[in-house]
Amino acid sequence: MDIQDTESRDNRPGRRGFLTLAAAVGAATALGGLPAFTASAAPLRPTESPMLTAADAAKNLLWWQAPGSSGSMIEQGLPVGNGRLGALTGNDPASELLTITDATLWTGGPNDTLQSDGQFPYGRDDFGSLTLLAELTVDIPDHDLGSVNNYRRSLDLAQGLVSASYDISGVTYRRQIFASRPDDVIVLHFTQQGGGAYTGTVSLAGTHGESTTVSAGRCASFGGSFANGLKYGAAVTASSSTGKVTVDGGSISFSGCRDLTVVVSGGTDYAPDPATGFRSPSVDPQHLAVTKVRNAAGHSASTLLHTHVADFRPLFAQLELDLGTSSAAQRELDTWERVQARYRDDVPDPELEAAYLQFGRYLMISGSRGSLPMGLQGPWLDGNDPDWMGDYHTDINIQMNYWMADRAGLSECFDAFADYCLAQLPSWTDATRRLFNSPTNRYRNSSGRIAGWTVAISTNPYGGGGWWWHPAGNAWLCHNLFEHYEYTQDRAYLEKVYPLIKGAVQFWEARLITTTVTDASGAPREVLIADSDWSPEQGPLDAKGITYAQELVWSLFGNYRTATRVLGRDADHSRTVDGLRERLYLPVVSPTTGWLEEWMSPDNLGETTHRHLSPLFGLFPGDRIRPDASTPKDILDGATALLTARGMDSFGWANAWRSLCWARLKDAEKAYQLVVHNLKPSVDGSNGSAMNLFDIYQVEQGRGIFQIDANFGTPSAVIEMLVYSRPGHVELLPALPTAWAASGSVSGVGVRGGFVAALSWKNGKVTRATLTSVGGRTTTVVAGGASQQISLQPGESVTLRSFG
Amino acid sequence: MRSSSYPALPAVPAGSLSRTARATLVLAVTAALATAVPAAATQAEAAGKTAATAAAPTADATSGTAAKPYMGWSSWSMQSSKYPGLNPDGDYSYLTQANVLKQTDALATKLKKYGYDYVNIDAGWWRDNTWKPEYDQYGRQAPDPLRFPDGMKPVADHIHAKGLKAGIYLPVGLEKEAYGDGKVPVWNAPGCTTADIVYPDLRTTNGWDSSYKLDFDNPCAQKYVDSQAQMFADWGYDFLKLDGVGPGSFKSGDNYDNVADVAAWHQAIAATGRPIHLEISWSLDIGHAADWKQYSNGWRIETDVECYCNTLVTWENSVNDRWNDAPAWSHKAGPGGWNDLDSLDVGNGAMDGLTKAERQSYMTLWAINKSPLYTGDDLTRLDGYGVSLLTNQEVIAVDQSDSPVARPVTPMGDQQVWGTRNADGSYTVALFNLGDSPASVSADWASFGFAGNASVRDLWNKQNLGTYKNRITEALPAHGSRLFTVRPGGTTLATTSYEAESAANTLSGNASVAGCDACSGGNKVGNLYLGGKLQFNHITVQKDGIYTVKVAYVSGDPRSVTVFSNTGNGTSLPFPSTGDWGTVDTVSVQLALKAGSNTITFDSGSGYAPDIDRISVPQTN
Repeated sequence: MDIQDTESRDNRPGRRGFLTLAAAVGAATALGGLPAFTASAAPLRPTESPMLTAADAAKNLLWWQAPGSSGSMIEQGLPVGNGRLGALTGNDPASELLTITDATLWTGGPNDTLQSDGQFPYGRDDFGSLTLLAELTVDIPDHDLGSVNNYRRSLDLAQGLVSASYDISGVTYRRQIFASRPDDVIVLHFTQQGGGAYTGTVSLAGTHGESTTVSAGRCASFGGSFANGLKYGAAVTASSSTGKVTVDGGSISFSGCRDLTVVVSGGTDYAPDPATGFRSPSVDPQHLAVTKVRNAAGHSASTLLHTHVADFRPLFAQLELDLGTSSAAQRELDTWERVQARYRDDVPDPELEAAYLQFGRYLMISGSRGSLPMGLQGPWLDGNDPDWMGDYHTDINIQMNYWMADRAGLSECFDAFADYCLAQLPSWTDATRRLFNSPTNRYRNSSGRIAGWTVAISTNPYGGGGWWWHPAGNAWLCHNLFEHYEYTQDRAYLEKVYPLIKGAVQFWEARLITTTVTDASGAPREVLIADSDWSPEQGPLDAKGITYAQELVWSLFGNYRTATRVLGRDADHSRTVDGLRERLYLPVVSPTTGWLEEWMSPDNLGETTHRHLSPLFGLFPGDRIRPDASTPKDILDGATALLTARGMDSFGWANAWRSLCWARLKDAEKAYQLVVHNLKPSVDGSNGSAMNLFDIYQVEQGRGIFQIDANFGTPSAVIEMLVYSRPGHVELLPALPTAWAASGSVSGVGVRGGFVAALSWKNGKVTRATLTSVGGRTTTVVAGGASQQISLQPGESVTLRSFG
Repeated sequence: MRSSSYPALPAVPAGSLSRTARATLVLAVTAALATAVPAAATQAEAAGKTAATAAAPTADATSGTAAKPYMGWSSWSMQSSKYPGLNPDGDYSYLTQANVLKQTDALATKLKKYGYDYVNIDAGWWRDNTWKPEYDQYGRQAPDPLRFPDGMKPVADHIHAKGLKAGIYLPVGLEKEAYGDGKVPVWNAPGCTTADIVYPDLRTTNGWDSSYKLDFDNPCAQKYVDSQAQMFADWGYDFLKLDGVGPGSFKSGDNYDNVADVAAWHQAIAATGRPIHLEISWSLDIGHAADWKQYSNGWRIETDVECYCNTLVTWENSVNDRWNDAPAWSHKAGPGGWNDLDSLDVGNGAMDGLTKAERQSYMTLWAINKSPLYTGDDLTRLDGYGVSLLTNQEVIAVDQSDSPVARPVTPMGDQQVWGTRNADGSYTVALFNLGDSPASVSADWASFGFAGNASVRDLWNKQNLGTYKNRITEALPAHGSRLFTVRPGGTTLATTSYEAESAANTLSGNASVAGCDACSGGNKVGNLYLGGKLQFNHITVQKDGIYTVKVAYVSGDPRSVTVFSNTGNGTSLPFPSTGDWGTVDTVSVQLALKAGSNTITFDSGSGYAPDIDRISVPQTN
């Protein structure tokens, strides 16, 4: 390939360089974790309209021809969110419903009294649960769905906007709903053309038995507190340029309004600070919510919209994806019809498949900015008892959520995850030191030593763990934390998370035990292995040296070495850890099954098609097992055989992980098949995509659960099919499936080593690729069998053409 | 009334026959007709007809009966309900003279001008509030003096005086309590007693086994039916619901074969010279449709719509079942005899137990199926929405029109499209969303055989929606519907047909070609079960696209089949019954086809699939 040109750094479309429209964003995403709900500075208002033209917006528009059901909001509600507040919107003409959640509205607490078995309680009172904040209803009784025509609603992914429109008797009614981060409110704006008017009621109801009352300034609000002392509140106001709006008890009535603007906000006094008991004593959430809605309501709906879009759009625009052109017939279908047709006909729909990735990005921008990170559902609930508490599962789920951030041009959204881990670290450290070696904990260190920190399988935002101890969870979390550094080369960030990485290393220094294995040559060899552990979430509960832990620790120790060198710290300790790493046992291939062993046993001790791919960490997200000469063939074959045995028919996140692994093995068609698998329409709770594209996991016949991880893991797989990277190495189109081969392009893809890639292809071959350094210096670019070393200064770009 | 209502009734002590109390009254009303019968022809008129006037009975008095599906009111829904206050004196006690007259007056005032003209008294008029029956000295049902203190004739007179028609009710067979040790004489049949009209072994019949089966080998049996018919004619009734009729009423077997009873009633009614509409109930066996058609004017195709609960009906018990029940019967109805879907309880949301959307869908299905439209609501308490439904003349006109009964043009999923072609070239098109969430439903013009622009009239909302190209899509609420008249703009859709029996196709499993008189080419492919497959090969189109493929099929019962093109996964599609194994109907399915040659496969999977006659593929999409 030829290097065509190197752009000067003056031209750089840097990682965060697109943010010109939203100067206020930088402060909000500053490292260190602001309180979740706090008085905010006056938003920067754009001076020009940031709105896309309708044609441009159409490129990233999902649409439907029916509203959602109030009884099926999880499957049918359209999500909006401002990074902290999330809401599902139903969009029924006669009864708009929003189920509103604040990411910090958690019951529970430190949960640091273990059960008799040395494990954690896992209930909604002790461990806690994410819960719903409020239900907002805008009733417009005359707009019965049975009498409207041409109903349509859409989710504008690029601008963060839900819209609905319909006709009644010659009048076209429209509504827009968006969650603004700058104004920290959710806005509903109702308009019409043709001489219509709105008459009805706005109601804001708490979901924990609160009463809504009148507040000053035509607001209705409520407040309350949980048994754990967490205070919360929410407020709503409404206004119209015509007609009559009155606050009446707990609701707001409106009549004869040619337009109507409803503004709602809410939050808690949660603070990501163990020193204050995870509370912000100065915050009165109800009062603050009233203040926020009154402040926002002082601006026109279009000002609020422009402010929101100026904030949202630049983030979204950081990655563009074109997987090819869909047919005219496919384009005529609405999103749900398209999902159904994709499955029914098995005809690729590249635009839908690209939209699925962009939907994941939309969710991340909406759900992961400036507050707690996204757990199993992000901030989108339809009730107060989300399955598994809507918590942070540390044995794949939260990791998968955040694999996508850097890969898909949303490094900013990773901060919520890193800030969370940092804020929890003191509590995790304290709990580990006090409780991990409890004599009844089957995972305790048999040496009796203890250091550093680890976590339980479930974690909450109060430093608490739930369910069982998860010794390797620390290394799993640190893998994400370190990869973010690899993508961004952000030294200040690495400095910040270094205590997490070092603490995890220290934990493993204390935990590893010695055993003797026999090498293939027959020679005995002393190795270090992990103490008793459980390979998530199957097989023996107390196996030593499980592949999952061995691979994670191997990765952790390697990353620690890099971190100490970058930061110039702990050189001696790093050498000690290097020595341990060299002695770490690494898995072999079972002579019985031909699979890479999951346990230190030739036997299959678990379920052949188990959902977790824990022993394949080295394949993805790790890099130890690679389809090149660096990996012994038997190991590669054993990993491939294990992945093959796990099968192609799992669900959501498990399919996504499989797809990621097949992408790493460059099996494009298998990787694609698993992406498509997650697009299968979910019917009556079956596995697949709901009408709103939320991923549904069927727990029992007729009951499906929303698990957001697949909505992020599947896009990560799409990216991995297009770009593989590790520090010093980038491969373009490693696993491009036939369905997308004709032509396409992607820009904004994060590259480990500190670059951002853009590339175009035709007939399966890269035609043009641009790498921009966001901190990286050199790397090798591989495409179409050719490879090229490039060197750049931060901010510089290079464009490559003419690939083998 | 249905079988399950009986366990709730008080047991009738053996031998407690009461056949004397009403004797005087019964004799008194055998006088000549006080009110003349309405001419049959006037029943054909839809909204706006005037009150029936005197007309002499014709020689064949029933010839014009039920030229259109009848319309009116029935007492049973309120009798059967536990809705507060309806049945203060025990189950079914709503049925009283006062209530019937009250409803008569309300019908006359509010609904008569829209065509509702029957006031039908249902079960229990001859039973007291403990459900104890009463009979005259001839073993004929006699009105309960508490319920009908003036007897039945004055009630009919009152109904007629309001310009309406009167209906009455009987269970089929000789009610056990009327047997009287076999010694009860039959009216106007010298020498005949009840012992002569039933079998010596007293075999029972009807849906509740509440009657002895009549033995028509003995002419006395016909005489008994004649005596009942004459009694009703004498009282001036214009309508009889004969209930518990089999095969049907959840019964089968010789004892429950009441075809002879229905024929006897047909004959008996003719003999009275009075045109009395004969409606039979319930869940009648479709295998005897020809008999029902020959001898009656309408047949309840399935079980009761009533829920026997705190409302009149509920959506799930059993209104929504009718969507699956109706298609099998679509070819059975016509002038003189109609598919009766049961009461139309849409007049008062609270009492009906239905949402607005459900009420509209309910009436839409009834109308497009040309079911009789009789409400069981309290007509004195109709709500505004109920009135707007029951009095929508455009929708009533669909029911009363000369168009064929509508059929589903899509498979029977949660979202369905039904339609029929009208004489003027327009189509009646109904969209249904039977799902529990709002959903969009599209009617593709290709399903009806045309393409391009068509103008759409919204019958429920009474407005012209304008022109729609190739399809119309609307958002429907849960359990909701829309009803349109669609007028094609001109172009007929050109299609290419492929016969299932073609040698070019691939059959697998037990699938095989079979003769079929009604099928194009005289053959079809059947035995599509348990993995049997039919793959059409070489389906050729010019352009990639999603095509509306029409499937002509035969299926005597509702069956599902998975349909897919090329390597698609397909969807399991429930095809509605065509009514029998000799009738061909069509539904349309959406499939992607690519330019060039394609396959389309019908896979029975793990079930039993319909027989396939042929498919028709549009030449353009």
